[in-house]
Amino acid sequence: MSEEYRPVISGDSPHLSITFQRGTLLLQTDYPEALESIAEHIPIHYDTRVSARRCDAIYYTELLEALRPAGYVITDDVPRWRPVTWHGIQLPPPWEVQQQAVDAWMAGKRGVIVMPTGTGKTNVALTIMKQTAVSTLVVAPVRDLMYQWHRRIQQELGYDAGIIGDNTYNFQPVCVITYDSACIHMEKLGHLFQLIIFDECHHLPGRMRREAGLMSAAPFRLGLTATPLRVDGKHKDLEFLIGPKVYHYRLPDAKGKTLADYQTVRVPVHLSAEEQEVYNACSQLVRQYMAEKNKDNAGTFTFKELMSEVGEDPQARVVQKAYYRMGSIQERADEKFRVLEDIFRLHYGERIIVFTGSNVMARDISSRFLIPCLLSHCGKHERRDILDGFREGDYSAVVANRVLDEGVDIPEAKVAVVLGGLASQRQAVQRLGRILRKSGHKEGVLYEVVCKDTGEEERSRSRRRTDAYQGTRHRRI
Amino acid sequence: MLTKELGIAVYKNNRVFPDKLSKSSHKHYLLYAEEMLHVYRNGTGKTRKDLHSAIQRIFQHESDCPPRRINAFCKLLDDASRYRKDIPGKAAKLRKTVFRKAAPFQPLVGSVDRLFEHGEMEIKNKIAAELGRSWEQLEQDLFADIMEYHRLEEFSGIDEAADLLAKYNVAQLQVVLYGAVKMIVWTATDFKTVLRYAKLAKLMHTIERRDDGVYQIQLDGPASTLRKTTRYGVYMAKFLPALISCSDWKMCARIRSGKKNWFTEFNLSHRDNYHSHLPPPADFDSSVEEGFLEKWGTESREGWTLIREGEILWQGQKVFFPDFVLTHEDGRRVLLEIVGFWTPQYLLEKARTLGLFKEYHILLLVDQSIAEKLPELPLKVITYKSAVRLKDVLAYLQENP
Repeated sequence: MSEEYRPVISGDSPHLSITFQRGTLLLQTDYPEALESIAEHIPIHYDTRVSARRCDAIYYTELLEALRPAGYVITDDVPRWRPVTWHGIQLPPPWEVQQQAVDAWMAGKRGVIVMPTGTGKTNVALTIMKQTAVSTLVVAPVRDLMYQWHRRIQQELGYDAGIIGDNTYNFQPVCVITYDSACIHMEKLGHLFQLIIFDECHHLPGRMRREAGLMSAAPFRLGLTATPLRVDGKHKDLEFLIGPKVYHYRLPDAKGKTLADYQTVRVPVHLSAEEQEVYNACSQLVRQYMAEKNKDNAGTFTFKELMSEVGEDPQARVVQKAYYRMGSIQERADEKFRVLEDIFRLHYGERIIVFTGSNVMARDISSRFLIPCLLSHCGKHERRDILDGFREGDYSAVVANRVLDEGVDIPEAKVAVVLGGLASQRQAVQRLGRILRKSGHKEGVLYEVVCKDTGEEERSRSRRRTDAYQGTRHRRI
Repeated sequence: MLTKELGIAVYKNNRVFPDKLSKSSHKHYLLYAEEMLHVYRNGTGKTRKDLHSAIQRIFQHESDCPPRRINAFCKLLDDASRYRKDIPGKAAKLRKTVFRKAAPFQPLVGSVDRLFEHGEMEIKNKIAAELGRSWEQLEQDLFADIMEYHRLEEFSGIDEAADLLAKYNVAQLQVVLYGAVKMIVWTATDFKTVLRYAKLAKLMHTIERRDDGVYQIQLDGPASTLRKTTRYGVYMAKFLPALISCSDWKMCARIRSGKKNWFTEFNLSHRDNYHSHLPPPADFDSSVEEGFLEKWGTESREGWTLIREGEILWQGQKVFFPDFVLTHEDGRRVLLEIVGFWTPQYLLEKARTLGLFKEYHILLLVDQSIAEKLPELPLKVITYKSAVRLKDVLAYLQENP
């Protein structure tokens, strides 16, 4: 096949051209033999479909570094990025820790910075963007965060960044995007940005989401996270997808210094007599069914098997519904509304943020108390009104489901209430991070409202295994 | 198309069995389908939430129906519907007004006391009165922009009960393909449709012609040479209805299943009796082609036999399907391409493609009116007026052995 490629530049040096094609690099050369030995640590494959060699775009920098000394005359058609000029920088000067993080990253321009929520990760990233001043793509986990990045870039770097996703495709040399859109669109975007920033980068190593990293040729890569660990162990891949961990600022160091001191208060609630009655009936139904099944199955019948039987057995469907009903009763127990009212009374005049386990509960609370709810359906304007109103004190409280789990800036909230949610520790740390912003010397409080004698208690115990929850107090309100 | 979560398939002995509602196994589902269509046909003005509950109720006493199947029906029916969305920003604006009006009175307490004197209902009624309505009315509109509360405006696109079930069956196949890392299609007659739609679905192909004249076409994407990736699975799913509309084909897809890296084969052919919403591929591109084939007939003329679309020529990702192949008893082959329809771009593209296949004996039959506009080509050209004349072609064949 090598006859097919005649060197463009005649002479002794072998010629090689690199082009970006749908998230991969196509390599065409008149001397492929050397390519294989030079780049032996880079997986390059011969693609018979196009009679050329191909590798993932992520190897772009590595490839150039390996090829240049080998004497190839390289036609590099990959970069479509360019320098960027910032108009009207209004970035607050980084404080000591932030500056250290910036310096650590700038030394190699590749790597992950680990800092707890509330210590100004976004500031670090914006400082890096200011200093590099190149085409930049910021990848965020959810739409809300994407819009927030857009706003921060506008406010602090004076740049109206493009937005890709959420039914818009507005390309600019600086763009914001969600992970899900990045996976899909990186085929077209991989060669347009010199710097790529992965916010909450523990999301990146997932099987599908990692493609956002693989298909980008960006030589400069920055990852930001408070909690790099993943249950599946894939956090190790961050080094390959972004770069080494260049800076780590641990939560216990931060407590009391840059973040407010805080306490955690657990408030057990009881179901109302009526709720308890329905709950018990449902619970009985589930237990009875399971017991019967276990008689036939020598005690090995599991809830998972029940789930797989709902297709064939209408009774199993009834039991499944009963089980979901139990969850819903716990989550939306009437007493939670009463407890919440008490917390609102107790913290009158303070900013309060309420987390729920579902959108329905968030809307119920919003309707009951007439406080804004931040849900994923909120448009750009509504979201801004809620956040600005909360910041300026027009709204004393907001309620949210999972939207605020990560990184959405709620300034100086001092009181958080968790009314239900997942057992995962990451969610706990991130939710806690919301209320830890330092303002004066006021201590933050996190209330966790759980139903007694139900599954919520177990989830709460699991949540509190993380060190952020140390020193939890129990209290009846 | 369905979302991944709505897929139902059994993976057993290294094979996949997607959920299928057939006449033999699920005859009674035709009645259900009828009822479901009835709900949507008469559902104009109802909320999505209510429609979905109505569909749920249809299956209340059915023992053979997993909830995912019901949700899949809802999705397919919704896909054929148009919902009236709230005027953009209207509900959001109402929320803003209400929450801002309520802000000075926070917290709205259940029972007032000396410290907190703003009762929940008192404030709610006050705000509602200011907006000229009752609180009950106002509360209904507060979240009217949530998907579940959108109201059905029009239902169209599914006419018959059997169509809904056919759609469902194909949709379940598509979900299986979301996990596909590659697909191989075998066909002797429908390669044109296969390759055209594969290209539309942004897939790349690798073509092989077997000795028996069957083409083996592997479909995947650029990164498929680098690693086993399912990122092109959704493209394969989009391509599937086109394949199903063909008449003679076989398909095998490699599916990644489960969390671990194990793979399952998924086989399908025209014998599996699926029905596509796409019409079967058109027999002819133009009436000129049809007329020519009719005139020539099936017999051999001066030793030459005419075969319609019997071949693909390919060069990398470029393919060319000559309209006809003329084969002589002695083994000679001439490829015929009729150019009747044109746009400047079409002609340029055609010329470029033909330029790639110089080593073949290609004869162009060009409509007189556009012959001058065709770019210079190293090819033999016969012009025609309204219809191709047999004697012109036969004379050419005699002169160019």
